[in-house]
Amino acid sequence: MSLIQKTLNLFRAIKQNGGILSSLKTLYVTDDLKWGTHVGTDKYGNKYYENNYYFLSRNRWVIYNPDFHLDYDGSQIPPEWHMWMHYTTDKPPTVKPPVNYKWMVPHQENKSGSSEMYYPYSTTRTKIESWQPAHLRTADTEEQNPKLFNIPQNNRIGVQ
Amino acid sequence: MASHLVGSSYGAINRIGARLSIRTSGLFTRTFATSTSANVYKNMNPPRTEEMPWAEVHEKGVQRFFWNELIRGMLVVTGHIFKEPATINYPFEKGPLSPRFRGEHALRRYPSGEERCIACKLCEAVCPAQAITIEAEERPDGSRRTTRYDIDMTKCIYCGLCQEACPVDAIVEGPNFEFSTETREELLYNKDKLLTNGDRWEAEISSNIEADHLYR
Repeated sequence: MSLIQKTLNLFRAIKQNGGILSSLKTLYVTDDLKWGTHVGTDKYGNKYYENNYYFLSRNRWVIYNPDFHLDYDGSQIPPEWHMWMHYTTDKPPTVKPPVNYKWMVPHQENKSGSSEMYYPYSTTRTKIESWQPAHLRTADTEEQNPKLFNIPQNNRIGVQ
Repeated sequence: MASHLVGSSYGAINRIGARLSIRTSGLFTRTFATSTSANVYKNMNPPRTEEMPWAEVHEKGVQRFFWNELIRGMLVVTGHIFKEPATINYPFEKGPLSPRFRGEHALRRYPSGEERCIACKLCEAVCPAQAITIEAEERPDGSRRTTRYDIDMTKCIYCGLCQEACPVDAIVEGPNFEFSTETREELLYNKDKLLTNGDRWEAEISSNIEADHLYR
């Protein structure tokens, strides 16, 4: 690889990243300036590129949605692009669309440390419940956890 | 006994005795020595005995005066700046993963939306870290389903025995490894969390199982 070709690649990378200022911004955000073919964009606005000029595992990369700015995270890549990014498959979802069932839920990044983080809770009724006198029972305590999973409502323990 | 022989004045016996004493003393010092014997010491940089010629003195002086070695080191560094890096730029670039990769757990559903897990508790039984807790109850429609499916991800050793034990492909170790948390509590997964994981990652989980179908 001659020096001329490497210089040409640099100019190509600058051109693809939209000029010198835009390239400097890309360098600031991603610490890297590369050129390649735009394979696709996911529904969150992350752009995926490929260029086999770079060696394996440098030849596919993602430019996160500019709205994230410096709050990008590896977990922001949705599953259908995740498997292409990780070389599990060579077919991007633009070529081979992923399965789609109506019960599937949209992807979510790792929410740890934010207000939306997961916190564990019991999905069953407690084995021992304190007795409550009838005059203190309200509709609220009768249906304490209606969102429990598939618990037969007619088969409660401790509630008459 | 050997020391007695060393002390004797007879020539032949004396010699044999001396030899014996050396052997035995060597044997004893080797076997009973508490520290490394000084006899094993070897000088790796013996001091120069011959005089340094003037040409070499001149050469060394010039190299030191012009910082030859420093400059050569800097040139190596400068060369490496322009080389293609051997590392990957995570999270913009990512490393290869096998379809069999064992990451974050997920509970899957049938295409109809019905959850697969039938609460057979094989995964709970096989789990070597005993990280899984299951409680089951009969549903109004008569089918057997779990009411509690907890995995303590801080106990889990990601061996994959649970997904191997599962007869209905319900519990799987998905491809996600970016689920690190800031608190320990967040890693105590319950059934809700596991089912949601399955609903999020089904596209990739089903694709990975399909890619591996010849070996299953």
